[in-house]
Amino acid sequence: MNYLKNFLATQPGTQPTGAETIERLCDRVQSSTLLDDRRDAVRALKALSKKFRLEVGTQGMDILINVLETDRTDGEIVNYALDTMNNIMCNNPEDDDEEDVPQTNGEVRPEPEDLGGQFTEIFIKKLENVQLLLNFLEEYDFRVRWPTVKLMTTLLCNRCSQMQQIILNSPVGVSRLMDLISDAREVIRNDGLLLLIQLTKGNAAIQKIVAFENAFERLLEIIVEEGHSDGGIVVEDCLLLMMNLLKNNNSNQTLFKEGGLIQKLTPFFDITEASPTGGWSAQKVTNLHLMLKLVRTLVSPNNPTVSIAACQKVMNTCGLLEKLCMILMASGVPADILTETINTVSEVIRGNTANQEYFASVNAPSQPPRPAIVVLLMSMVNEKQPFVLRCAVLYCFQCFLFKNEVGQAQIVQTLLPTTADASAISAGQLLCAGLFSTDALSNWCASVALSHALKDNPTQKEQLLRVQLATSIGNPPVSLLQQCTNILSQGKYAPQGGKLQTRLGLLILLCSWLSDCSIAVTHFLHNATNVPFLTSQITDQAEEDEQLAQGLFALLLGICVHYNDNSIENFTKERLQQLIIKRIGLESFEDKLSFVTKSDHYSRAARSPQPRYDAPEKVLLDYEFVALFRQYEGVIMKAVRPKTKEEEQAEQKTIEDHAGIVTQYKELIREQVTHLQAEQKTIEDHAGIVTQYKELIREQDAELHSTKQELQEVKVKLSETEKQLQEQASMVQQLRDQYSLLKATKGQGSEWEWASGFFYQDISCRESPQVQPVEAGGGEEAVARLQGELGESKRLLESKTQQLMEKDKTIEQLKNDLTVAEAKAAVREASEAGDEGSAEDSTRPLQDRIQALTLEKEELRTQLSSQETEIQTFRTDNETLKAKLSAQTNGPSPEAVATETAAVQSKLSAAESQLACAEEENRRLKEQVQQLQVQNTQLQNAPVADGNADSAELEEKVQRLSEEKKRLEEEAETASKEQDDLLVLLADQDAKIKKYRDRLKELGEQVDDDDDDGDLEDDEDYEDEEDEEEEDEDKGDD
Amino acid sequence: MSYAYLFKYIIIGDTGVGKSCLLLQFTDKRFQPVHDLTIGVEFGARMITIDGKQIKLQIWDTAGQESFRSITRSYYRGAAGALLVYDITRRDTFNHLTTWLEDARQHSNSNMVIMLIGNKSDLESRREVKKEEGEAFAREHGLIFMETSAKTAANVEEAFINTAKEIYEKIQEGVFDINNEANGIKIGPQHSPSNPALGGGGGAGGSQPGGGCC
Repeated sequence: MNYLKNFLATQPGTQPTGAETIERLCDRVQSSTLLDDRRDAVRALKALSKKFRLEVGTQGMDILINVLETDRTDGEIVNYALDTMNNIMCNNPEDDDEEDVPQTNGEVRPEPEDLGGQFTEIFIKKLENVQLLLNFLEEYDFRVRWPTVKLMTTLLCNRCSQMQQIILNSPVGVSRLMDLISDAREVIRNDGLLLLIQLTKGNAAIQKIVAFENAFERLLEIIVEEGHSDGGIVVEDCLLLMMNLLKNNNSNQTLFKEGGLIQKLTPFFDITEASPTGGWSAQKVTNLHLMLKLVRTLVSPNNPTVSIAACQKVMNTCGLLEKLCMILMASGVPADILTETINTVSEVIRGNTANQEYFASVNAPSQPPRPAIVVLLMSMVNEKQPFVLRCAVLYCFQCFLFKNEVGQAQIVQTLLPTTADASAISAGQLLCAGLFSTDALSNWCASVALSHALKDNPTQKEQLLRVQLATSIGNPPVSLLQQCTNILSQGKYAPQGGKLQTRLGLLILLCSWLSDCSIAVTHFLHNATNVPFLTSQITDQAEEDEQLAQGLFALLLGICVHYNDNSIENFTKERLQQLIIKRIGLESFEDKLSFVTKSDHYSRAARSPQPRYDAPEKVLLDYEFVALFRQYEGVIMKAVRPKTKEEEQAEQKTIEDHAGIVTQYKELIREQVTHLQAEQKTIEDHAGIVTQYKELIREQDAELHSTKQELQEVKVKLSETEKQLQEQASMVQQLRDQYSLLKATKGQGSEWEWASGFFYQDISCRESPQVQPVEAGGGEEAVARLQGELGESKRLLESKTQQLMEKDKTIEQLKNDLTVAEAKAAVREASEAGDEGSAEDSTRPLQDRIQALTLEKEELRTQLSSQETEIQTFRTDNETLKAKLSAQTNGPSPEAVATETAAVQSKLSAAESQLACAEEENRRLKEQVQQLQVQNTQLQNAPVADGNADSAELEEKVQRLSEEKKRLEEEAETASKEQDDLLVLLADQDAKIKKYRDRLKELGEQVDDDDDDGDLEDDEDYEDEEDEEEEDEDKGDD
Repeated sequence: MSYAYLFKYIIIGDTGVGKSCLLLQFTDKRFQPVHDLTIGVEFGARMITIDGKQIKLQIWDTAGQESFRSITRSYYRGAAGALLVYDITRRDTFNHLTTWLEDARQHSNSNMVIMLIGNKSDLESRREVKKEEGEAFAREHGLIFMETSAKTAANVEEAFINTAKEIYEKIQEGVFDINNEANGIKIGPQHSPSNPALGGGGGAGGSQPGGGCC
């Protein structure tokens, strides 16, 4: 301030305007390099900020924000800057800061509307600014934290929802603000409370977060610290914040209840003993009022029923209800607290049987002790009591009887003649007193209270009919029902019944009473004057408020029609209907009824169960009655309409309509039937498709069958081929037999030749005896040579047969392997094809193979026969040689020749035995061929028997086998080459034999040239070989 | 109503993974197939017994929708435990776990126990996230893992109770400062705050699942 004074003092002559000063100060804040200078300038700005809000705000806002950012480490300058900002933004400056405002001149400059709000908007437009403030809250320094709290509060006051959103978007924003109420410094804690009150206004999300941060517990702690209701305004702030958190926030209410905090409210109401006789402070009243409101928030009829019930239960068990009832019965409690307590008790017991029972048992500490209900009712019918209190009592009574049949019975019981006890004041007495009092509000309240005792309870409605009243001495007693009607019928200008409030009250009672109770209706109609009275009331010309009564009269008449059991002859349902039509008119009747629903009183009463009226004269309708009216309005409109011609027609029409509807339905059904039929058709179609499929399947079955048959046929063929093979084998055998026979015959033939040789010898001996000795010498030599050659040829033959055998064997093996492989391949093919047709395919290669085999066999056989022919030839040669030898033995050295010949013969026989061996081998070969055929057939069966062979493996095997086959074929080729070589050798030998023979010829011997021809005749194949041999021979000669 | 400790939990995870259903199953033992979208945060509570001690669980079920993210973030700080839930039939909910975890770790106190929950384990036929993947994620990030079904109630009880056990053990180990209510742990009213070593004698484990419901 000194600085400012100095500053202002420097220019005493020309007072600078505020704007100029501020400009200068702002400049200084910006340009000063020294923190102290800046600080002083900001302090000066602060001092001017209340008087020159606009100027400081417009010129200094950005500069001040800059200061907050750059000089944040200096608590003092931050403090000044924040205070300045708060001053320019706060529309309602606090009184305690008033001293700072220069009051030198009284000029009142007009300020723009909501200047603070506009500055706030500018400030919060930059979200970083708010974040900056939230960060300042982390600062413990009082000089920083406190003004931050105040500024935040101001910002929230000015632009609440925007600020709420900004704070919500900061993850720890709410939490930091919540931390304020845990601050040990009360000033910050208290201002923190104010901040939170603003923060939680109407934002459920923030309310929940604040509650999550243990707000309830903390607030209750503060309240306890401050001394409950005796605490100051801080308690009020705490309670306001709690109200903010709980009101219309079911989640927080649940949390409050779950946290066991309702129990903690009980000590709040420990006031009866402690209250000083001198009365209650205004703050205490406010605090208590808020505490009661807090309780009511938890059990408000607007909350979900389940949570209400739960809270009510806790409130009873934790003694809260008891405490409240004690306040109710205590003396010296201010009226507004008493009223609020009554309202609170009402809502704590509403619809909760246990709490209602407890309430019924509460007694006032009077002498003699009276039930609390009675005491309260006394207040209700006492016109000296405050209006709000009387309404509260009615509310309490209503809540006590809400869904409480026992309570209803208890109240009605006190009205019944048997229990009438003159000495004690009963609820019934008070209600009657209220009914017939001269006070209209008492009439209304008592009537409505009584209607609550009858609500939804036919038993009590009937019971109440028993009540008789002694109006005056000498006159017969009058029923309560009739008395109510009597008061009504006294007319508008009567001292009691003339008042609208009374009339409406009584009508509410009568409507409640007669509804859903035919006996009451009968009772009512029993008095013949009642109906004419009702009609007259409805038809009368009426002022606006009176029209409400007319509506209720109409409702009453309607109830009389609807619940009419026709026991009163003059007022049967039909007659009443006629009456309404004739006297009132249906339209008019309807209008009267609908007027009620259109009235303000109706909609006002419908709002909440608690009677809330501005003034006593506004008390006309009540919540429960409005509910009843809503329930019966439509019913009665229907009930009062008799079945007139139009109606009958209408009914007829409706019947026709119904018939029409029926026909429509019939059509619908018909449609559905056709639809069904169509569906049936489609089903049939489906069946057709199914049969098609079945046929297809049948066809496939047939195909399968045929393929099976084919397979069978193939098998048969196979067996046939087998047979053929066997036949062929037998043929081979036959051939062999023939061959052996032939051999035998040949043997005979050689004998014969032998004989003929002798014959020739005889001839030659006779023809040329002189040649013989010369011949004999050379003959010996030739024989030896011949014998050597013969041995050689025999050896050759032997090796050749052996080679042949081996070759045949390999061929056999090869064939075997090939067959197996091919069979396997066929099997694989069969399994791959997987169908019936594959059998055919698989048999084909087999058949092919069989054919090939047969061919090969044939070849083999030809080879065999050729070999046999060769053997034959050899034998023939041998024979010839023998013959020659025997012829020579007749020569000069017959002994030597004979022995030599014998040796040659024995050698020959040995060769013959070898030949036989070869033949045997041949036979074996043939047997093998047979075996092969058997295997073949087996293999042919295999594809049928075993279809699931592993195809991959088989393929591999086939591969392997085909390779082997190739190799074997190569071997076979080499073998055939060898055979060719052999044949060449044989030819050589033959050539040698020929040479030898020629030489024999040269020697003058008549050699068997004819032999060749004979041999040719024996075997045709031989000729070819012979030719070949001859060709080879020619080559060999070359 | 008295309890030894009060633990605050939050349930987080993508929208529609069954957070509210898990809470409803735990607190009310019922399943609601059609559940309204959670607006902001809802509250539920239940009493359980661990190591013979009554423990009250206060559970805040958060809205999974992105628009409520800033609101739900405000709850991380004051929670002692978090159930991070994904839907095993929706891969994207699993993919978002990292984001959730980062968010939670950033805004919560460092001791917060996080349990990873793969919900809807009853819908095996529609499974998109293997159990092993959930386990791996949990292992990688140091979380407890469990697959649950709010529909069949499978593992629901265990999920909440195991988390409580973990917190309880941390208290026994002295990791949590139980006098600081900002941690989401509160000592029961019958236990004086001056005696923090309560229940120290009792060995760990030996819990009684399915404690009294409140």
